[in-house]
Amino acid sequence: MQMPIKELGIKMSERVIEVLSDSFLKILLPGIKVTIPLTIVSFILAFLISLIVAFIQHSKIKVLVPLTRFYIWIVRGTPLLVQLYIFFYGLPSIGIKLPAYLCAFLVFGLNEGAYMAETMRASIDAVPSGQLEAGYCVGMSYLQIMLRIILPQALRTAFPSLMNSLIALIKETSMASTITVVEMFRQAQIINGRVYQPFALYLEAAFIYLMFCSIVTFIQKKVEKKLNTYGGVK
Amino acid sequence: MIEVRNLHKSYEGHEVLKGINFEINKGDVIAILGPSGSGKTTILRCINFLAEADEGTLVFDGKEYDLSKMNKKDIAELRKKTGFVFQNYNLFLNKTVLENVTEGLIVARKMNREEAIDVAMSALEKVGMALKKDSYPSQLSGGQQQRVAIARALAYKPEVIYFDEPTSALDPELINEVLNVMKDLANSGITMVVVTHEMSFAKNVSNRIIFMDEGKIVENTDSKSFFETPKNERTRKFIENVSIR
Repeated sequence: MQMPIKELGIKMSERVIEVLSDSFLKILLPGIKVTIPLTIVSFILAFLISLIVAFIQHSKIKVLVPLTRFYIWIVRGTPLLVQLYIFFYGLPSIGIKLPAYLCAFLVFGLNEGAYMAETMRASIDAVPSGQLEAGYCVGMSYLQIMLRIILPQALRTAFPSLMNSLIALIKETSMASTITVVEMFRQAQIINGRVYQPFALYLEAAFIYLMFCSIVTFIQKKVEKKLNTYGGVK
Repeated sequence: MIEVRNLHKSYEGHEVLKGINFEINKGDVIAILGPSGSGKTTILRCINFLAEADEGTLVFDGKEYDLSKMNKKDIAELRKKTGFVFQNYNLFLNKTVLENVTEGLIVARKMNREEAIDVAMSALEKVGMALKKDSYPSQLSGGQQQRVAIARALAYKPEVIYFDEPTSALDPELINEVLNVMKDLANSGITMVVVTHEMSFAKNVSNRIIFMDEGKIVENTDSKSFFETPKNERTRKFIENVSIR
């Protein structure tokens, strides 16, 4: 016996609503437990890398500068997905077996670090360089001048771009799903395997990513207003 | 007090300084004059080691320094005795006026905070910027920024202050407030070496003129005889040209 079209439609949308309400927390939970922590620790790693790389490039330490260039060249010239595969599926064949989470953390940190290093380098270069000489003339060391004078100004300039990187990173963590990390997107895939509602489920996952990114954007706006502009216009 | 011997410096094969010799005595206010590109600024940069000389000796308080190869210790020792005022002020843009002066005192000289603030405030009073102590450089005019930069140099009680074209980046209206401060300093007996294009300052405030052309010192004499009885043909031409203005 065939169901009338209208009735079928109602049945289906009821089914979709049921799937969505059942799955929302199930997808959100790995978002909070995996996506967000993975984003934060990777971002911290990336930030430290970017500082060190920018520092080396600015101070023109002879041996290390080509090394940082090489790093940026490799990372920016190869896809993130391929980098993840090399770390997780490739390294074990030369005897280095890392847990999936660690792989994701390292690859995301190293990857975003290269982009952020360029941001930092440009921001440091944008700080009027006479301040370095002025610092020398009052007896300060290179490190003191960098940490106390140049970097605070550079970070202020870099802040919007760094937040941009953070937002990119939130979304990129979805790629960890390909190396068995059960983060938000992987969870959506798993649920979809059971109930087969790809359109609804992936829209739902997208919505949660959008939520996370919106929160970051909101915070960015708030913080930018609070940041010291050193007497300049806000 | 200070003696510069046989200072040579080239940039990319172009010889900017071709053997410079002069002395600075305590209390001297020396104006270094000369056309643009004659190497005036390079002298100051070399003797404060902001640029490495190719050859040359600096004698400071009886101690000899090789200007072509100095180590960190020598540089630090030398810079403790000198102040430097830049053409573009180079104030720390993320610090207030007061912090600009205290920064080096606290960080480099390890002075405690209260003492540093006292020293800084008295330096700021000398240049008439004490009331602006909480402003940031971006909120000040060029002349005010340069006065703060002078206070910053002054606070370290250096034996000599080098001024690298301190009024060249200023609006004409703001030049005098800086020159007046420098005049006060000169009258208070501070040793100064000033690279400048300000003829009135050279004539009325400095006691000695070093006139440079094409990387060489053409004339080094007291300011009165420089302007009234110049010996050298090149000097005469220079004075003639600048006095027309």
